[in-house]
Amino acid sequence: MDPRPIVLITGATAGIGLALAQRLAGTHRLVLCGRRAGSEYPDELPDGALYIQADFKDPLGAVEAIETALDEAGIEALHRVVINAGTGYYGSVESERPDTIRETLDVNLTAPIVLARHMAPFLEKVRGKLVLIGSVAHRGAANMPTYAASKAGLAGFARSLESEWQDRTAVQIIHPGPTATEMHEKAGYDAGKLRRLFFSAAGMADEIALLMDGSKKTATVSFGARLRRLVGKRSS
Amino acid sequence: MRVLVTGAAAGLGREIASQLVAGGAHVTAVDRSEIDPLEGLEPRKVDLADREAVDRMLRELEDEPPFDWVIHNAGISATGKFERIPDDAYLRLLRVNCETPMLMTAGLISSGRVAAGGRIVFISSLSHFTGYPGGAVYGASKDVLAVYAKSIRPTLKRRQIRVTTVFPGPIRTDHASRHAPPDAQAERRMDPADLAARIIRATRRGKTVLYPGLTARMGRLLGGIVPGRMTAFMRRVIFEKLERDVY
Repeated sequence: MDPRPIVLITGATAGIGLALAQRLAGTHRLVLCGRRAGSEYPDELPDGALYIQADFKDPLGAVEAIETALDEAGIEALHRVVINAGTGYYGSVESERPDTIRETLDVNLTAPIVLARHMAPFLEKVRGKLVLIGSVAHRGAANMPTYAASKAGLAGFARSLESEWQDRTAVQIIHPGPTATEMHEKAGYDAGKLRRLFFSAAGMADEIALLMDGSKKTATVSFGARLRRLVGKRSS
Repeated sequence: MRVLVTGAAAGLGREIASQLVAGGAHVTAVDRSEIDPLEGLEPRKVDLADREAVDRMLRELEDEPPFDWVIHNAGISATGKFERIPDDAYLRLLRVNCETPMLMTAGLISSGRVAAGGRIVFISSLSHFTGYPGGAVYGASKDVLAVYAKSIRPTLKRRQIRVTTVFPGPIRTDHASRHAPPDAQAERRMDPADLAARIIRATRRGKTVLYPGLTARMGRLLGGIVPGRMTAFMRRVIFEKLERDVY
């Protein structure tokens, strides 16, 4: 038996999720979830990981796929569940369309809630930790109202659940600041020169990995942490 | 004046609708339940968790004159231990409390169905400042509304439309008592008629936020100063006393 702790990461085929999977590959057994079919997932995905195809646009279907795959792999406990998958569209209130509003809420809020509920017994078995990836936008953003609102919901959910589960399973929410991933282009936003100030996905994954081992219930990784890294405390 | 009120069949929504009608407004009253007739009230039976029904309603409203006020009052809850409540209850809650009001706002704005000088009102909750153990997803849904309202406010202000967010504490309605712990004292909850009057007044003035009553103002203040302790307080007075799951 592999004695390493098991971590499940959603949204693990790109961006922060992929970087986090690579960062944890040596020390953890990996269960990675992504939208793409297994045959199309990127080569960068660490060897030996269990890959589960799960599209959170359909929260119930995705969670069912994950439960089935865990069952087939004989996995009964998870030490960390990192709910990282997210989506968003750039545009102010009048340009938001019904399908993008629904998709953003389903992927960013409904799916994490349903997944947390179904992962509860896996986490409780080993006094594990639920890690939710929020966003600095959770306080509001005029150009991404639905995205900001979905992340506010996630933050509120984390706060109440942390209290409910306080004697059993740790709950943490981490709000990443701007990170150089494909998400901005996908959302229809060009950051231009500002992008140079962004975290690299690997740098953000480093910060998240460190925070995951700490006891903070809520943390923001933004320009302060970016500055610390720029002045030399770069760990990888 | 033309007003759209959701969740207008009972409780706070009914109070808001009937006070507006009494003041001479024409009210389009949306609810999934049967709406008791009232002069000036135009009932519209729609299940706000039903995506097709919501899309249909929005298409139909495009052919009607613009609304002066839109009051997103409809809300449902789910209380108990988080993991004991079924997925479907959460899906329904998130649709009624978040998805539909956001979709309706975007749709009514983009089709020009909110008049210049108009108002959009969201009913959030005092739990936005305290957390809500025992109602984790309900609390989350109200955080969604609070931050959505805040996000769209500057854009809409440029179009002369004001956005008001209401953060009520406990209300004395049948809906609220179903979800309260058994020892909760109904007389300490806010009377829905009083709350409705305060909401109408704040909306007319174009207020950004409304913390109705002493409990709401105190809760907001303490939630800002000692948020962790307020969540722990909510755990003691609600989560630890809930004897059953209600959804």
